[in-house]
Amino acid sequence: MRLKGATILIEELLRQGVDTVFGYPGGAVLDIYDELYKYSDRIDHVITAHEQGACHAADGYARASGKTGVVIATSGPGATNLVTGIANANLDSVPLVAITGNVSVNALGRDSFQEVDIVGITQPIVKHNFMVRHVQELEQTIKEAFLIANSGRKGPVLIDIPKNVQTDTCEYGIAVVPRMPDKPKLPYVKDKVLEAIRNSTKPFIYCGGGVIAASAEQEVLELSHRLDAPVGLSMMGRTALPDSYDYNLGMCGMHGEYAASKAQSECDLMLAIGVRFSDRATGDLNEYTKKCTVIHIDIDKAEFGKNVDPDFCLQGDVKAILQDLLKDLKGVRHPEWREEITEFKKTKTPDRPGEFCPKNIIEAVRRHMQDSTVVATDVGQHQMWTVQYYDFEQPRTLLTSGGLGTMGYGLGAAIGGCIGSGRKRTVLFTSEGSFGMNLNELCTVVSQDLPITIVVLDNNVLGMVRQWQGIFYEGRYSQTTLNRKTDFAALANAFGAKGYSVATLEELEKVLTETDTGDKGAYLIDCHINQDEKVLPMIPPGKSIKNIILKG
Amino acid sequence: MEERFIIDLWVNNRFGVLNRITGLYSKRGYNIETIHAGPTDVPGVTKIEIVSTGDDYMRTQVISQLEKLYDIRKVDLRTEMTGD
Ligand SMILES: Cc1ncc(C[n+]2csc(CCOP(=O)(O)OP(=O)(O)O)c2C)c(N)n1
Repeated sequence: MRLKGATILIEELLRQGVDTVFGYPGGAVLDIYDELYKYSDRIDHVITAHEQGACHAADGYARASGKTGVVIATSGPGATNLVTGIANANLDSVPLVAITGNVSVNALGRDSFQEVDIVGITQPIVKHNFMVRHVQELEQTIKEAFLIANSGRKGPVLIDIPKNVQTDTCEYGIAVVPRMPDKPKLPYVKDKVLEAIRNSTKPFIYCGGGVIAASAEQEVLELSHRLDAPVGLSMMGRTALPDSYDYNLGMCGMHGEYAASKAQSECDLMLAIGVRFSDRATGDLNEYTKKCTVIHIDIDKAEFGKNVDPDFCLQGDVKAILQDLLKDLKGVRHPEWREEITEFKKTKTPDRPGEFCPKNIIEAVRRHMQDSTVVATDVGQHQMWTVQYYDFEQPRTLLTSGGLGTMGYGLGAAIGGCIGSGRKRTVLFTSEGSFGMNLNELCTVVSQDLPITIVVLDNNVLGMVRQWQGIFYEGRYSQTTLNRKTDFAALANAFGAKGYSVATLEELEKVLTETDTGDKGAYLIDCHINQDEKVLPMIPPGKSIKNIILKG
Repeated sequence: MEERFIIDLWVNNRFGVLNRITGLYSKRGYNIETIHAGPTDVPGVTKIEIVSTGDDYMRTQVISQLEKLYDIRKVDLRTEMTGD
């Protein structure tokens, strides 16, 4: 079958199982958009307000659904607008295929109108990228791109397609199915690992985003039962285990739960599964693993020893490795360790009944949502509060920017997450700084008729930065008091959603009841909170649990 | 301890491959002293030889990050410092 490049692209997307793409048209992708028009009964295109929003939406779609997200942008500014979104997906290992148009091959390198070297620009922030110079390479390239994005440690792949490659024709349906190239692997040291596990009396499981990427949640839970081992999570690992499980201690690290970080520092064995030991999670590396043997299980060989030197490494698919280990592990009990954990759990930030504070707001919202509700966040204090206080019960229900910490991620992610979860009610927790970055996407929420509830934890300041200025810069609040006069409720109304402004728990409850309209209706609830609310506990950067700050 | 070492790479001679390799070094602030590329007997495969200086950590990091690149077929750390 002889087809033009743009048609080959869409046909191949369909073969890859893609039914939804996010993007924004322009001169260099006119042919692709012409095909999208013709194929609109088989492939949904979601037009956003900005390519960054489209990229975050594709990312949120991928995180919520487990499928590969697809974003399309035109050359030049369209392509550069994707950069933050691609970097974000890269640091959080999200499978994403970004497709950009470019000027025709014979115009490349002449500083033609809207020409940028997007392959060069994105090279350090992608898993791989391609420039397709001949239409004959297109089919094979798309196949490879999807394979790379979604195999091993997942990540973003960019395909740059010059205009003439979109219009040239060639035979379609002839490319071979690609295979990931074989790479050297570490020897599988199972026996030593089993011995270390059997010798442990205070085992601790630390699990990260790799567990969710590999769908190994059940195996981790079983391991925890079998070894009588408490589990701590990295931020990316949040939602790997239900919060209702009593040995899920919650997040470890800078803003983690005291019990989780304490247990991690007191254990004699740390089974680190699908984690990359970010500095935000480890703090002082000299203290971090002082008392324990570390077994690191991950698919990415380059992670072993990158930040933490493990005693044993197991390289491969986390799910397969855990299943194999479980075959040889009998159930054990560690009652003394359990007592210690119970003791650790008693140290908590105090409850503040009746107060209009972040914890009570988040818990009130949670009561109106389902276990399956997808929750997106932006970046800052509100992000940490959501991760700490929202009760997550199912995997893939939290969309948050972990590695890059991208303010402005949330709304796009919520849009993608909502679509990726079957257009079910979705929540975004944000704050006025982050929301201000990409609130343009409110128009997408409304035009797509998406049931999204936006909760603005509005403290009038860039709270997270302000908190650091308070603790480490003697209260010199440089450029973090915003004093904006934006009326978010009115703004939401102007966009065609429905806005509310609340300042007490009673008012909030009333609005939550009124907006509890199932999977219909877009709402924004502006919650006015105190500017001096803190995220606690906090382990200062580069410090250990010994330096934890528990009270404000 | 900082030591000079040579890495031999066999790569698919595709668009931008050298960029990806040198990018891995520069991202981590590692210096390349000499780089040398040439064809092999296998069509489409190029051999690249890189001399740089670094400690154990740097060496293992560079090697495992290089191994991850899609267009890299093989990474060899040469033990003795010969001219080739
Ligand atoms: C794009 C971007 N710019 C700057 C930062 C640095 N930064 C991290 S948190 C933060 C403050 C966030 O403020 P806001 O969104 O209002 O959330 P809050 O902390 O008040 O909950 C800033 C400026 C960032 N993470 N991302």
